[in-house]
Amino acid sequence: MEYLIHIAIFSAIFGILAISLDLIVGYTGMLSVAHAAFYGIGAYATTLLLKMLGLNFFFALPLAVVITMLVALLIGVVLSKFKTDYYALASLGFGVIVYVVFQNWLQVTRGPFGIPGIPRPDMFGFTFVENVAFLLLALVVLACVYALARFMVRSSFGRILTAIREDETAISVFGYRTTSYKLIIFTIAAGMAAIAGGLYASYITFIAPSAFSVNESIFILAIVILGGAGSLRGPLMGAVVLVLLPELLRFVGLPSDIAAQMRQLLYGVILVLLMLYRPQGLVGTYKL
Amino acid sequence: MSIVPQIIINSIIAGSLYALVAMGFSLIYSVTKFFNLAHGVLAAVGGYGVFFFGRMLGLPVMVAVALGILIATLVGWLLERCVFSPLRSRKSSALVLLVASLGAFTAIQALIALLFGSQFLTLAPILEGGSPFTVAGATITDVQIVLVGTALAAFVCVWLILKKTSFGKVVRATADDEEVAKIVGINTHKVIGKTFVIGSMLAGMAGILSGFDTGIEPIMGLPLLLKGVIAAIIGGMGSVPGALLGAYLLGFSENVGVWFIPGEWKDAISFSILILFLLLRPFGILGRK
Repeated sequence: MEYLIHIAIFSAIFGILAISLDLIVGYTGMLSVAHAAFYGIGAYATTLLLKMLGLNFFFALPLAVVITMLVALLIGVVLSKFKTDYYALASLGFGVIVYVVFQNWLQVTRGPFGIPGIPRPDMFGFTFVENVAFLLLALVVLACVYALARFMVRSSFGRILTAIREDETAISVFGYRTTSYKLIIFTIAAGMAAIAGGLYASYITFIAPSAFSVNESIFILAIVILGGAGSLRGPLMGAVVLVLLPELLRFVGLPSDIAAQMRQLLYGVILVLLMLYRPQGLVGTYKL
Repeated sequence: MSIVPQIIINSIIAGSLYALVAMGFSLIYSVTKFFNLAHGVLAAVGGYGVFFFGRMLGLPVMVAVALGILIATLVGWLLERCVFSPLRSRKSSALVLLVASLGAFTAIQALIALLFGSQFLTLAPILEGGSPFTVAGATITDVQIVLVGTALAAFVCVWLILKKTSFGKVVRATADDEEVAKIVGINTHKVIGKTFVIGSMLAGMAGILSGFDTGIEPIMGLPLLLKGVIAAIIGGMGSVPGALLGAYLLGFSENVGVWFIPGEWKDAISFSILILFLLLRPFGILGRK
């Protein structure tokens, strides 16, 4: 039971990541391979605010989101100059740079040793020590993110994003400043990833750079593409499937380091097969 | 003793390794117009090929190296035939091809880790260990000399093939405009396949030489790929001399940069260079707009 709850919490965290990345990739058509960077910045910022300043989790998390959004704004300004495959490459570059900073800024991140002993969130004297309680928290956050994403993509703002994806030149002819739209959605999505990062840090109570590497960005991208870019239910389904599948391998009795490699093998093959046979994913509308 | 000669030698060694990856990557881009990220994992395939044939089966070094290159070439060619070519014939966008190559990269890397384990392995014992040479106060090993020589020889070969042979002419025509090349009767499908063979061969060599120089691990493909991509872009995508130039520029800037900034930040330096180039001169030094 405890194990199922653990998987559910992970599905929720990756659900938040996938929905937010889908806003960039699926709705606006920018293939970002930097999402784990914002996930990581959110996690590190939350951790440092919790441990160094002793803030309450529910104050630390919003602050961490703001910090991440500021970083995302700076990165987004540079990224918004690129299109299609050059965008993917430049975002990959930022992903690596942020990862190198996590690894080497020893005074702040303790580098590869990571930061242990992160407290679980507490609210009015109630601490989310039990995993069931944490799952509820994660689900509530996921629901809020989902609702916000749904509100945005159905608004006129969201329709302009889709128009940018379909034909950026055409929509800019109508006088929309596409660069600002792309920048806004990129920053908001990065903020959402930061929420997932904060949840992850306080759930595992330990963070290290390896959880936020380029491989993790590719994993989140695989979730979005498997579920279906350009829909909100898709990435959610993708998150459950891709978090659950490797766990099944562990049930068959594979040791965990082999299971980790199997997970990579699996989603690599899934990406190739999807591109060949179903580029719009399970329920998506948008074919890259 | 001054460290300047050593820095120059180190830059040339690093540049030669990047050049081997970058030339193949750039060549493949020139005819297919997509970023083939699976290119990097072929280096790991080559390195592990040598490990398998040389250390596990105990074949002579030269045979193992030849088989390693052959395996890397074969994997590259199979990817083109089974994944990229069907996607192209369906008129998939460059992004779809990029994502597919990313998936292939991840899958093959994980497969290598499953077969051989994810720890760092050395290839060196199967090579007769000569003592390092000293040139103008700088040390260089025999493997590194072979590495530099291979990179330069590979460049001359590829450049001669492109400029002097009829196959080279056909490759350049395909790179210029695939549709027009088809119209004048060029079998571009075949040309692209052969280009993949050449490119993958170079990537395999890079992995094998890097394996003899330092060692092999399943994730070795990613850093090599990233450096190769950066070099190719600095030099100008699709230009083979550009890739060589970019690779040595990158090698020098990394190794000279270590003077001012600690070595762990190398990757951050090279990616900052990439982003600067993408912003200010996206077509590179020798590339065309």
